[in-house]
Amino acid sequence: MRPIMLQCIFSIWLSLTGANTSLAAEAINTLDAKGIIESAMDHWRGVSSYSEMTMTIHRPSWQRSMSLRGWTQGKDNSLVRVTAPAKDVGNGTLILDQDMWTYSPKINRIIKVPSSMMGQSWMGSDFSNRDVARDDDILDEYTHTLLQTTQDDGFTVYHIEAIPHPTAAVVWGRQVIQVREDFVLLREDYYDQDDALVKSLVTKDIKTMGGRTVAARQRMSNIEKPEEWTEIIMETIDFDIDLNAQMFSLSNLRNPRQ
Amino acid sequence: MGLELTLAWRNLWRHARRTWLTVGAMVFSNILLVFLISFQFGTYQLMIDNTLSLFTGHIQIQKPGYHQEPRLRDTLNDIQPLAQSMRAQVQGAEFSARAMGFALASSETRSYGVQVVGVQPESEAIVSSLPGLVTRGRYLQDDDTQAVVIGETLARNLKIQPGDELTLLGSGWDGSFAADILTVVGIFSVGVADLERLMIQMPLPRFQETFSLGNRGHSVVAKVNNFEAIPATVNRIQNLTASGLDHNKPLAVLDWNQLQPGLKQAIQTDMASSWFMYGILVILVAFSVMNTQLMSVLERTREFGIVLSLGLRAGRLSKLVMLETALMAGLGMVIGIALGVALTAVLTHTGFTYPGLEEMSQKFNLPGRMYPQLSPLSIILGPAIIFLGSLLAALYPALRVHWLKPVEAMGAV
Repeated sequence: MRPIMLQCIFSIWLSLTGANTSLAAEAINTLDAKGIIESAMDHWRGVSSYSEMTMTIHRPSWQRSMSLRGWTQGKDNSLVRVTAPAKDVGNGTLILDQDMWTYSPKINRIIKVPSSMMGQSWMGSDFSNRDVARDDDILDEYTHTLLQTTQDDGFTVYHIEAIPHPTAAVVWGRQVIQVREDFVLLREDYYDQDDALVKSLVTKDIKTMGGRTVAARQRMSNIEKPEEWTEIIMETIDFDIDLNAQMFSLSNLRNPRQ
Repeated sequence: MGLELTLAWRNLWRHARRTWLTVGAMVFSNILLVFLISFQFGTYQLMIDNTLSLFTGHIQIQKPGYHQEPRLRDTLNDIQPLAQSMRAQVQGAEFSARAMGFALASSETRSYGVQVVGVQPESEAIVSSLPGLVTRGRYLQDDDTQAVVIGETLARNLKIQPGDELTLLGSGWDGSFAADILTVVGIFSVGVADLERLMIQMPLPRFQETFSLGNRGHSVVAKVNNFEAIPATVNRIQNLTASGLDHNKPLAVLDWNQLQPGLKQAIQTDMASSWFMYGILVILVAFSVMNTQLMSVLERTREFGIVLSLGLRAGRLSKLVMLETALMAGLGMVIGIALGVALTAVLTHTGFTYPGLEEMSQKFNLPGRMYPQLSPLSIILGPAIIFLGSLLAALYPALRVHWLKPVEAMGAV
């Protein structure tokens, strides 16, 4: 049970999957609301990737940036490692399906994150562990409606409302996702059960990297506390690279071999 | 007055059985009230003492807003020197500095989220009772470096013993990774489920290092020697902190009621419900008195008619009836207090318990066996109210005399 499909670092890969524009545009016309999200995720599934990112955590009194490297394979396997600042180098997170482990070189221990901690912040950011270890609940546990389509910069943007099934254990009342016709995710709004907007993930910059159109800068911000946000900037990304299965193992989390 | 007193006393014993029955009701209520009120007063103070001494303390100095929403960032600078200067400048109170954070605690096999408290072991042992409740191993010492004490439940959940390693993983003050490996030196058992499951304590300097706090901390806890001196001590601390220590301004100085509003509320709720019950008891006794006195007035209608026709003023008859009531209530009070005090005094020594008491007590960190506390107030309060209630209830029968018409009254059966 993974109630929240929150946006996260890994969701960038969702937006990363926007492939060849004309091809996508042709396909998207034949899709329904769920299909738009699903095909965006399908693009991302089964595709491996390697990326380098900068994550900036902003608070009213301080701000902090970290450099990260991430690998993904399919929808289940992800590995993220910190490369800067020096104090935090080597800290890593491994996700296999819905399980999450974290490693800290300071104590040289791998620790499995228990389900009770999934709501806690991931690496001190505005993303929770659950955001990071997301799965495709957004497809299975939600009902999707195409609210409207708008034009943005010559692209058609699909506004899709996702409402969790009555039985789904989800903290959100609904989510509104804006996907551009080339499958770049533009914005995701999280509403609570009283239909008040709680937080938003907004794509601030779109670039072509690794041969694809991707969201290069995304910001997760808290609506009630506008001074608290986390921004992720994609520095480089490669798709469809060869990764061996060993990449996503506990021993590799502890002793990097790449 | 002497004559009236004698008359009233004799009138009482014209129906000895009826008088004894009414007095009996008073005695019973008085015993109950003396005991219950003594019990309550004893419990409340114990509740406050035990709950506060466990961890909260009487007063805490924090950054404003920290209490409402504890965040690692909301720190006070130079926390150890702050505690030290408080120790030096405030008499009649003990101080200890703390820092608090949240971390994932792991043993070899399991992980749980816990609240980590960095403490100054030696002064902590003075301001809180937790250090004394270590059941296995020992509490922290000032020269400990990588030691930690954890609660009984957490130890069971993590399957660790004193001597085993505990791994902490969390976020530091600057957002960096906070991680540490500590050795469990002791396990505490305090009877409060949340503390035993969620709290761990480690030495403050090590905490500051692990969580990148520098010289910062989150609160200075104070325990005063005399409970009554809390408001004065709060004032004193406020004055001291307002003048010096400008790099820490503003500071919030919170007393126990602000720190644990639930405690006073629990006491007030309990008081309200027991006063309601006492009220019913008093009203029942009052009605029983009114019934007795009304009967006694009504059956003397003829007699009162005669003395009224002889020229006695109705006012004196009312006074007589009130005097009878006062004597009866006085008798009930004296016997009631005597027996009530005797019973309570015995229980003060032996203590008592009843099924369910133990579970309830644990919530407030109280012992399973209760010892009521006798005090002049707890002895006199209940019986005095019964006494006054009885007099009030007798007003109606007494004033009825004024409506009597001598001739008609003489003709009454």
